[in-house]
Formats: sequence, structure tokens, C-alpha cells
Amino acid sequence: MAEVEANKQLSPEEKKRQEELAQQTVAIKDELRKTKRQLAMVLDLNKCIGCQLCSMACKNTWTKKEGREYMWWNTVNTMPGKGTPKDFEKSGGGYKVLFEGKVREPIRGNLPTRKEFGDFWKFNHEEVINSKFGTSVLKATNPDGTAPEWSMNWDEDQGAVGIKYPNSFFFYLPRICNHCTYPPCLDACPRHAIYKREEDGIVLIDQNRCKGYRFCLESCPYKKIYFNFEKLTSQKCIFCYPRIEKGVPNACARQCTGRVRFVDYVDNEQGPVYQLVKKWKVALPLFPKFGTEPNVFYVPPLAPPRLDETGKVDLSKPRIPLKYMVDLFGPEVEQSFKLLQQEMERARDGEKSELMEILMAKRWKKMFGPFDKDPETAV
Amino acid sequence: MAENTVTTVEQLVANKVAASKEELLKLDSPAWAGAKEYVLEMAATPLANQPSPYIKATRDEKEIGKITKVSMKCLHNGKEVFFYIKWTPKERSTSIGDLNIFPDAVALLFPMKEGIDTPIKEMGKEDAPTNAWYWRADFDNKPKNQVTQGLSTSLYTEKSSVFANSEWKDNEWKVVMGRALQVEEDAVKLAAGGKKPLGIAAWEGAAGERGGVKAFSKEWRDLVLA
Repeated sequence: MAEVEANKQLSPEEKKRQEELAQQTVAIKDELRKTKRQLAMVLDLNKCIGCQLCSMACKNTWTKKEGREYMWWNTVNTMPGKGTPKDFEKSGGGYKVLFEGKVREPIRGNLPTRKEFGDFWKFNHEEVINSKFGTSVLKATNPDGTAPEWSMNWDEDQGAVGIKYPNSFFFYLPRICNHCTYPPCLDACPRHAIYKREEDGIVLIDQNRCKGYRFCLESCPYKKIYFNFEKLTSQKCIFCYPRIEKGVPNACARQCTGRVRFVDYVDNEQGPVYQLVKKWKVALPLFPKFGTEPNVFYVPPLAPPRLDETGKVDLSKPRIPLKYMVDLFGPEVEQSFKLLQQEMERARDGEKSELMEILMAKRWKKMFGPFDKDPETAV
Repeated sequence: MAENTVTTVEQLVANKVAASKEELLKLDSPAWAGAKEYVLEMAATPLANQPSPYIKATRDEKEIGKITKVSMKCLHNGKEVFFYIKWTPKERSTSIGDLNIFPDAVALLFPMKEGIDTPIKEMGKEDAPTNAWYWRADFDNKPKNQVTQGLSTSLYTEKSSVFANSEWKDNEWKVVMGRALQVEEDAVKLAAGGKKPLGIAAWEGAAGERGGVKAFSKEWRDLVLA
């Protein structure tokens, strides 16, 4: 962007130094982004029942105290919906990708408010318990005493607005930090506090370097970074790296009652993540248009067939508009749907479908690649 | 502007006064009445130097550096040095009230080594560190002591001997920041009768200024401890 007139009149030495500094920054960021392997997660949205066990597993493991109480590193939102924070997808950030990915131009993002995330509510439990039956109702208030107007799952089960029965629809969208291949947060941080772990690509914020400037939150188009008002640092999903290091899967994945989540290195050809993302190509990133190359992938949600005005099955178009799915998961979603339907047909006809076998996940521990240890016994 | 105000200075003189720390921390103390007031002009930090591709791509240098000048008086009492800084932001911001709110701040910067070129635009370099005394509106008048060896490297020291008093009045910040001339922690060494380069930076929180997005004095000024 524009530089003021005064800085355009630099001496040759000053210009040279500016170029050196720019090159240094690029080199540092390249180093912080460098990985040997990449861990990833695949979430099968056809199996998510919105029970929030993942959110609670994460909450109990990571965000119960020390200024993290209002944070939800894992959220599950009903879609279509405004999500968490409210309308996050319209908040900017991410990259404009040019020259087939050779150039990524950062896009300015907005900072959400704490209430748009959903604040840490207080409940009148005492009042309800100590009052005569029926005289008091459970009520939530924000820390500032105001009534909540949003939360991590405010529009639960609302679903598509304006679409009438019998063609109404909704599905659940669980989200964590995407541990992107090109994390805009890493590029944004002027402290070089954000880095990808070389051994597995997990994106972490060095709490000793972070000074809470929140450029990371501004630049993240998924708005999956929180600010700790006690510690004055930014914090987010750490992909349960202390568990991963012990061979234990992420709390959200292991606790999932619907067997929605697969965890593995992307390059493990025998593992479920490789099979779903690279081989079958049915699992897709959320909002690929943001240009960050997420490492969380979704098997898109199929829906029951559409019904026409007379109540008969109408297969001419899907119940969930394809345009909406393309907006969420990119144009590849159409092929993903075709393949899923084709393989479902095969399975229904009694044929063997490798893809369906993976997605059904009969063998639970197979969902987690090498991370199949029990947290109770893992050393 | 007061009669004893000097603009565009290259040198600031901190005269010695016989006043206690408590007296000099008072914003309306008569001890400050006779001190010369210097006006320091400031400019945006160079966008090209920002150690963040995101900041470089999404900011306009014309929008950075909202505080274009501060006024400053300096005094010392033989044991401690004091800086009385005043500036007028468009809007006051006192705390991190929300994710999108940033507090007002001001900082003094000193090179820590003598006889070595210390770039002010980069807050020093590896072998030429700088020391900042960083007051922020939400720090409860307990400024941080910070050591920096080039862009992106600033770190607070565990201990900070910098003290402050502040007031927001008539749409103006008044901050007195001071420190003992000699301290234990990693910090600039000062001595009465000596001279030290001095820089200053200020952040307008309401304009989203934080980190390297700030206004600063582009050149070192000499601080003379008379």
C-alpha cells in the first residue's frame, strides 16, 4: 500500500536496508511455515449429530480456566447459519491467490467483538435452586450484565431460512483451527510468534513471544483465534499436540460419539486421511476461496431427496442447493457428491466399497492412524 | 503554547532540581513549572520495515502514526530522572475492553551501548540493543522495561524499575514516567552530567495502533542530564 512522500525520498543506503529487512521477513516467515509432514483431520458431516461432545471434550481439556473460559477452540454450528463468531465468513482476511498459488496477497480482515464470539455467561443457578418451584427461571447474562445476543451455537437447529417444509434442511459444521498450510496468522504476526511445527505442521502461538496485538485474529478468515484477557495473549486450538506426542488422538476426535473425525498424517497412504483427501478426493477444505489451504477437511453433507409440489421425489436437483455447497467447499464438491452417491449405491447393491468401509469406521481406532493410544495408559 | 516551549529540538535538557520522587510524580507539582517544554514531532513507522507481510499489504502509511507530536519536559534530582509527556489523541482508549479495542500508549527509547550505531527505525540491532520504557493506559502506571535487538525482538524484562503517574484531562494525556538513574535489570545506564540519545513513540489505541503500527521520532535526540 501507499507509503508517504517522506519515505520515498530515501537514501540509497536506506532503500537497500529496507530491501534487506523485507527479504529477512520473507525468509523468517518461510522458515516458520516449513514442515516435513502435515497432520490433518477429516470430518464426515453426514455423521455429525451436533451433540457438542467434541466441544465439551475440548472445553474440559483446554479452556476451563486462566482466562480461556469464554473460548471454544472447537465449535459446532448449525448450517446454514451465521456461525462463530457471528458472520465470520464475511469478516475478511485470508489471501487472494495469484499465479497458481505462487503469490498470496493478504486481504485485510476485521476484528470481531467478544460478544460476537459469545461471551462467558453467568447463570442464576443459586436463585433457581433456592426459590420456590416455578417462581424463577434459569437465565444467562454476559459478564457486563447484559443479556446474551450471540453464542458459540446461537442459531442451533434453525437451518435454512425461507425454505419451507418438506424441503427444509440443516446440517452441522464442527470447526477447529485449520492448521493451514499457508496460515495468514503466521504471516500477520509482527512478533514471529506463530509457527508451524516442523514435524507435523501443527500451528502454534508461542505464548512467550505473543504480545496480544491480534493481527493474527484480524487476518484469520475463519476467526478461530481467541484473545486471553487475563494473559493478554492470543490463543487457539493446538490440535492437542501434547496428546498427539503420546500417540493419543485429539480430545475432540476421540470423544466423538458419531465417529465423525479421522486424524492422521496427510502423506500416510495407508491411513484414512490420505484415502479420503488424496485418493478418493471426497473430503474438501472449508472455504478454499480464502486461499489458506486448510488441513481440516470435510466430507460434504448429503441430504434426503427433494420433494416436488405433489410430494413426489424430485431428483432433478438436490435438496441442499449445490451453489451453497460450492460456496462452502469449492467446485470439487459436485464430484465428491457424485462419488459418495455412486459408492453408496454399490454398498446398497451388496458390492464392496472401500470408501464406504472407511467412512463407516467400524474399527474405531483405525480412524486415528498412528494415534490410537488410550489417554489413560499412554506414556 | 507556553513561553518556554521549544519545537523541533535536537537536544533536550533535564535540569537538576531539589525535589523528591513523590513531588516530581505529581502532575501539578510546581517543580515542573520552570522546566522547559520541548515539542517533538513524530511520523509513521516505515511501512516497508514492518516485519509482517500482512501489515505491509493491508495498511496505508498515511493512516499510521496518528499522534504527530508530543510535548515533553525532563528533570532529574540526582537519583532519578523524570519525563513529563503530554499529547492529545482524537479519542481516549484506556483498556483492552474488547477484542477490537487497543489502549493508548507511549514509550521512551534509549540505545543501550555507547559508541555503536544503533538504528532507531529498527529499535536497535543484535549487537546494539535498545531499552524502552513502555507506558500503556491499562498498565496501572506500572510501565514495562523492554529490551530490543531489532524489529520483532522486543522482550519485557522480568523486573521493571520504571514508575509513572498519569491523568486524562481536557482531552489530553499527561504522563510522568521516571526511573532511578542506575537500576539492576537489563536497562539503559544513566548518569547525572551525562548525555544519552533518546527516542519516543506513541500509539493511538482508538485508531487500532499497536505493535509496530505507531508514531515515532524518526531520529535520536540528545538527552542531557545537566
